[in-house]
Amino acid sequence: MKRKMAAILAGIFLIASLSGCVSKDANSGDGNGGSTGNEGGAEVSIDPLGAYKDPVKVSIGRAVDPNYQFDNEDTAENNAYTRWLKDTYNIVTTHAWEAAQGTDYEQKVSLAIASNDLPDAMMVNETQLKQMIKADQLADLSEVYEKYGAERLKDIYNSNPGLLDNVTYDGKMYAFPETTLPSAPLTWIRKDWLDELGLEAPTTLEDLQNISKAFIDNKIGGEGTVGIVGTSQGGSLYSTFLSSGDHYMNFSPLFFAHNAYPGIWVKDKDGKAVYGSTTEETKQALIMMRDWYAQGILDKELALRKSAQELITSGKSGIFFGPWWSPYNLQDNIKNDPKANWRPYIAPLNAEGKFNSNEATGSTYIVVRKGYEHPEAVVKMLNIHVSEKDPSYEEVLADKQMTSQEIPLFIVAGHGDQLEYAVNSTEKYLAGEIKLEDIDKVNYGFGYEVAEHAKNVKKEPYDNYDIQYWDINGDAAFFAHVYSHLNGGSAFVNADVNYTRSIATSKTKTMEARWTNLEKLEDEVFLKIIMGSAPIEEFDTFVKKWYDQGGEQITKEVNDLQ
Amino acid sequence: MRNKGVVIHYYLMLLPGLVWLFFFNLLPMYGILMAFKDFNPGIGLLKSEWIGMENFKYMFELDDSKEIFANTITIALAKMVGNLIVPLVFALMLNEVKNRLFTRTVQTIVYLPHFLSWVIVAGIMLDLFSYSGLVNQLLALFGVEPILFFASPQIFPSLVVGSDIWKEFGFGAIIYFAALTSINPEMYEAAAIDGASQFRRLISITLPSVLPVAVLLGTLSLGNILNAGFDQIFNLYNPMVYSTGDIIDTWVYRVGLINMQYGLATAVGLLKSVVGLFLISISYTLAYRFANYRIF
Repeated sequence: MKRKMAAILAGIFLIASLSGCVSKDANSGDGNGGSTGNEGGAEVSIDPLGAYKDPVKVSIGRAVDPNYQFDNEDTAENNAYTRWLKDTYNIVTTHAWEAAQGTDYEQKVSLAIASNDLPDAMMVNETQLKQMIKADQLADLSEVYEKYGAERLKDIYNSNPGLLDNVTYDGKMYAFPETTLPSAPLTWIRKDWLDELGLEAPTTLEDLQNISKAFIDNKIGGEGTVGIVGTSQGGSLYSTFLSSGDHYMNFSPLFFAHNAYPGIWVKDKDGKAVYGSTTEETKQALIMMRDWYAQGILDKELALRKSAQELITSGKSGIFFGPWWSPYNLQDNIKNDPKANWRPYIAPLNAEGKFNSNEATGSTYIVVRKGYEHPEAVVKMLNIHVSEKDPSYEEVLADKQMTSQEIPLFIVAGHGDQLEYAVNSTEKYLAGEIKLEDIDKVNYGFGYEVAEHAKNVKKEPYDNYDIQYWDINGDAAFFAHVYSHLNGGSAFVNADVNYTRSIATSKTKTMEARWTNLEKLEDEVFLKIIMGSAPIEEFDTFVKKWYDQGGEQITKEVNDLQ
Repeated sequence: MRNKGVVIHYYLMLLPGLVWLFFFNLLPMYGILMAFKDFNPGIGLLKSEWIGMENFKYMFELDDSKEIFANTITIALAKMVGNLIVPLVFALMLNEVKNRLFTRTVQTIVYLPHFLSWVIVAGIMLDLFSYSGLVNQLLALFGVEPILFFASPQIFPSLVVGSDIWKEFGFGAIIYFAALTSINPEMYEAAAIDGASQFRRLISITLPSVLPVAVLLGTLSLGNILNAGFDQIFNLYNPMVYSTGDIIDTWVYRVGLINMQYGLATAVGLLKSVVGLFLISISYTLAYRFANYRIF
């Protein structure tokens, strides 16, 4: 019924556009800035940053942060950035729908895919991308990228080898991937609490255990102090091969320190692919976690809480695991308690003293619906996002840092070493070794901005990142950026991380049919073992069941990927 | 002779319901095809490839299927029984209170939770029954070690059923109040004159008078036996309680929307509908037998 209606409407539009003059297309369609209307067959020059003559509409499905504060009457759909985009380039973004970021958004995207009712462009995860490619719902972007992609954009993708290969099938490019920032879960601890109790910084699992115990025994966060917090209700205990970059607030490091990589596909000693959750190392990690849980070192309500983050914000807990950018989420806690001095530690190390992590492979992708008339508009939006801004940008938007909430189709896009560069140049700039002008503003625009604002929020001494040497109100829009890059980023880029990459990074054929079941098996057993409601022997039963219920076939398929 | 105009406006009143039924219940039936196809949203349902009974075969192979059907029936059945008896007992008890102001106030308060969304109620529940929540604090006064209520597969179904009854009994009692007010007061007067005690009157007059309503509601609710309440469980459960708390709807949600196995999710949903249809037919026959209730 609905489909028929759509077909009729589409028919009407088609007739309308046919009866309009054909030559008009030359003016409005491609938006070549000045060089339109050229009727000779000669190749028209294309300006990747040129404005359209007539407004071009892009309808997008948008993830929004319900807690984000916009200026005045602004919304995610109509704000300073989108208005600037419209005024300067004649690109009009509208929202086909919006949903709260996270599971709500994922759900909405899945529904849009299933009903084939797609916005012109949206952001999807890897599983969704594969599904859409299989269903032939996506536009082939190779040509528009080739033609309209700005030099900067191409530079960025060229400096991230393999990124575009991941979205290219049969020579067709289907998405613009985010340039994944490197990530490994560090241990974040309230250093002010460590100092108060006279404790050393941790390196091993044992240190971590002792610190957590000391925090609890001394009731350092008041009555009901919780040890190590992590997974919330509905979350996963560790990052998996389908969400490999998901390192914020779960328990991955406790596994990594045992050389265990649950949730991803690793090589066994014979070089064969094996699912990390079924290995002996994982079992050992579970045995330890079970013991820690019983002692109260791990949060008693792990995986049950609506939001484990609350414990951090309210100062009930002083230990969690998270990537270098975790301080973005610590601002509320710091506002509540200006003494809260969160510092990252390269811990826990494994028995050989190595710091292990899985390697983030997944990413976010911008996709364009098949049949959308202006795929190049999306390319242009990306060009604008990554390139040096038009002078008009300074006039309208200079005093406010635009975020993913204002910028439609926001992805992190930078050179492969963008984080390292931003951290190092900011540090050098603060140390007085280089001048601001020495920083490569063209290729590392964001790194430049971080350095530019650093002195507004960082007090001397510049090489000490404890909270008392920061001015949180000095530059509210930039505090989180600078604080995260220096406090988290510098620890991370200087760390020697021993990465393990998953052999499979998306579902194989049998996985598509069986994964829900296997995942349920795993989630249930692991949690039960940790929380002590099932004996550790259950692990062996789980492994057997896992292989019987499809794991055998899946392992074979993953081995074929090698 | 019947007045035709009157008949027509009855049908008009029925119309919105029928339209709703058509769009939301009849039209989507076409989606059942998905259970027998390898659905590809890009080319649409009709062009997707037929795969026969493969989804059903796989469904019966899974250990999960038995578990989720068993969980669904257990929870739904307990809710049915609870939601039948608790409002009835509550209505009878409140009916004995003679202070009008009091009864009215209580009635209003207890039926308010019905209008709260499960997201809110679940949040309150998780808080109340958390490790350091109110319930555990109370238990601590009696020297009981704190219990992780929502991590216990044994306790979880009771919490689900209990909270559902708490939320709905006030609303469910309304229909009993209506039935109670329609009892002829002369019967009570006659009984009082014959020397029947308050309790005797309750047993011999009040209860038999509302029993047909109770039977009717009970048999009609049989059709819901496979609806254990997605909203509620989805907001309360976690992997620890999968063994007793994972129901058909939450499972279908994970399979269909999270893992995008549309065919399998539809197959399970279809089976649920078929069993549901069977049960509704039974409940209709029973309702006719015992409460003389019929539609056709």
